[in-house]
Amino acid sequence: MSPDHDPSLPLAFIPAGSEVRLASLGQEIDAWQREQLTAYGLAENRPFKVLQQRPMTVILADEVELALEHDVARHVWVKRKANENDF
Amino acid sequence: MTSNASPADAILLVGHPNVGKSVLFHRLTGAYVNVSNYPGTTVEVTRASARFDSSAALLDTPGVLALPSRSDDERATMRALLNESTRCLVQVGDAKNLRRTLTLTALLAELGVPMVLALNMHDEAAARGVTVDIPALAEELAMPVLATVATGGEGIGELTGSLGRARAPEALLRYDESIETDIGAMTTAIARLAPHPYLVARGLAILFLGGDDEVGRWLAEKAGAAFAELNALRDNARQRADDDLPTLLARERTQAADALAASVIQRSVRSRPLLSQRIGQAVVHPVWGIPILLAVLFVVYEFVGVFGATTLVGLMEEDLFEGILNPAFTQFVDSVVGTGWLQEMLVGQYGLWTMGMTYALALILPIVTTFFFAFGVLEDSGYLPRLTVIANRLFAAIGLNGRAVLPMVLGLGCVTMATLTTRILHSPRERLITSFLLALAIPCSAQLGVVLGMLGGVSFTAVLVWALAMVGILILSGFLAAKLIPGRRIPLVTELPPMRLPILGNVLKKTGGRLKWYLIEVIPLFLLGTFLMFSLDKLGILPAIIRAGEPLVSGWLGLPPEASAAFVMGFLRRDFGATGLFAMSSALSPIQAVVGMITITLFIPCFASLMMMVKEQGMKTAMAMVATIVPFAFLVGGLFNIVLRAIW
Repeated sequence: MSPDHDPSLPLAFIPAGSEVRLASLGQEIDAWQREQLTAYGLAENRPFKVLQQRPMTVILADEVELALEHDVARHVWVKRKANENDF
Repeated sequence: MTSNASPADAILLVGHPNVGKSVLFHRLTGAYVNVSNYPGTTVEVTRASARFDSSAALLDTPGVLALPSRSDDERATMRALLNESTRCLVQVGDAKNLRRTLTLTALLAELGVPMVLALNMHDEAAARGVTVDIPALAEELAMPVLATVATGGEGIGELTGSLGRARAPEALLRYDESIETDIGAMTTAIARLAPHPYLVARGLAILFLGGDDEVGRWLAEKAGAAFAELNALRDNARQRADDDLPTLLARERTQAADALAASVIQRSVRSRPLLSQRIGQAVVHPVWGIPILLAVLFVVYEFVGVFGATTLVGLMEEDLFEGILNPAFTQFVDSVVGTGWLQEMLVGQYGLWTMGMTYALALILPIVTTFFFAFGVLEDSGYLPRLTVIANRLFAAIGLNGRAVLPMVLGLGCVTMATLTTRILHSPRERLITSFLLALAIPCSAQLGVVLGMLGGVSFTAVLVWALAMVGILILSGFLAAKLIPGRRIPLVTELPPMRLPILGNVLKKTGGRLKWYLIEVIPLFLLGTFLMFSLDKLGILPAIIRAGEPLVSGWLGLPPEASAAFVMGFLRRDFGATGLFAMSSALSPIQAVVGMITITLFIPCFASLMMMVKEQGMKTAMAMVATIVPFAFLVGGLFNIVLRAIW
């Protein structure tokens, strides 16, 4: 199955250590905060790694570590890496 | 560009937060600005003459996460871009994060101003295996691109040398055809109705279509009634767009930046994370984060509370001032002016030297010096942004997010500075709650040192009662404020900059800069306060105040009548008032010491921070805070007096 056909999952439920690709930013996130996330590098299809989920979701996108509260992370939709060639 | 523009003399440093703009500014001008390892440090534009060109003014602008501007920092930067006679932009970018850097370049390039791109923190990029093909990037952008390490001074000479070769870069992208049509129409209209002397109309058109309010304001002012035409064009463009127009514009810039970055970056595969990355992850770890925080707090307490407030204060106050300087100065004054009111004003009970300067230099200076040094180390290490992650849950209980921990911790150094730093918070509601809590329950380092010095001398229980009272009141009043102040809490999203080993020279420079700022503020106020006390005493007003305050101070708080004088002093500075109580500590029982310190800690903030509150929140709000805080301080102090007498 190609990553394009993988179901999207909320970032808040992805285990630490997983590598994912951004599918979309939910409309539940404030428009300015969506812009903020895009500015931090969370653009569609960009890969990043989940570093931890407690006390906040922490991800590594390129060389930027970003901490997101679960209220935001649960509306960030991602696709998980299915195999080594996906990223 | 129009020909009637004044000669361009401003070189603007622009870039994302935490990429080293302020360090670079210091390198290029020699001027100190507060430099910190978290966003929002530079809250206003700072200007200084360039070392390399006396005819040029260098401007350090607040970091922008993105443009069009949305936050206060971004608006301040946009105002600088709109209002300065810009000769050249120096975009400072993070070399290890080229995609994000180029996303901003994609917009700045549209402004038509000569530019240079400084890819800073090149050493960190190399350590992470990131290599940027700088010649290829410079060729693509058609402008000078350089690698710099501002903290180490690398590449600074090349940067200043390249400014003469600065050029308006090639545009990174052509937007989607329909968007380009709207940009074209808006560009034509702006060029006709509101031309800018330095920025090209296309750049302003993209910013205005992207919803930049500062650009909108500038255009409205410039175009007058014809602004309606520009607004109508924007409304039409928004209606035609498939999606939210600002989002579409930002997405296309991001894609163009991605494509360019991918063509000039090489990454080598690393087998394991760097030590700094592992430390960075440990300090926000759900298990290890709290013990690390407690260890950090313990070290800071040992350094500031024990070494600064006890050892250094002892050396300064007892050995230097009381042992040497005060007797010598008193003898000198006696021999020159003899006895009388002038002698009393200088070296008497409320003497400018024996009280004002002794309080400021012997009691306060060692404490704030050690605090600012410790704070500087924490800032430069990258720990403070991680503290926002650890503290987030606690701050959620008081309607804030972890970001508020930064002004709160800075408030432990200086509440005035911290009130200014509330600008890093995103909403007016967060700023209001944080400013209120700073004014109410956050003691500055000077006051904290005096409190610890005094209560530490009583017992550990006394310190514990005071600390628990402060934390309890902070949480309770924050909780109530969050319930009463309308609006909703904003969830935290924050960047965690890399953990770094602080450079001693930079920490000392920063400590020196803060101390200078602090002393310039403190010494005149301490001298003024002392003079007021002297005058009130001489005019017989102070004894009258003490008598008038007796029912409150002695009856309700259970303190000696003379403590009224400390509260009068506290109106000028809380730490001045606390020092007044400290000076009479031998006459206080343990309960009186605790009650006195709780009351004075909650008391009205110092004059300077009051002025800052007025500046940031407006006169009405600041006065409402004062009207709440003063009675609240006495109410809580009295309640503690009753409770402690019943159980202690």
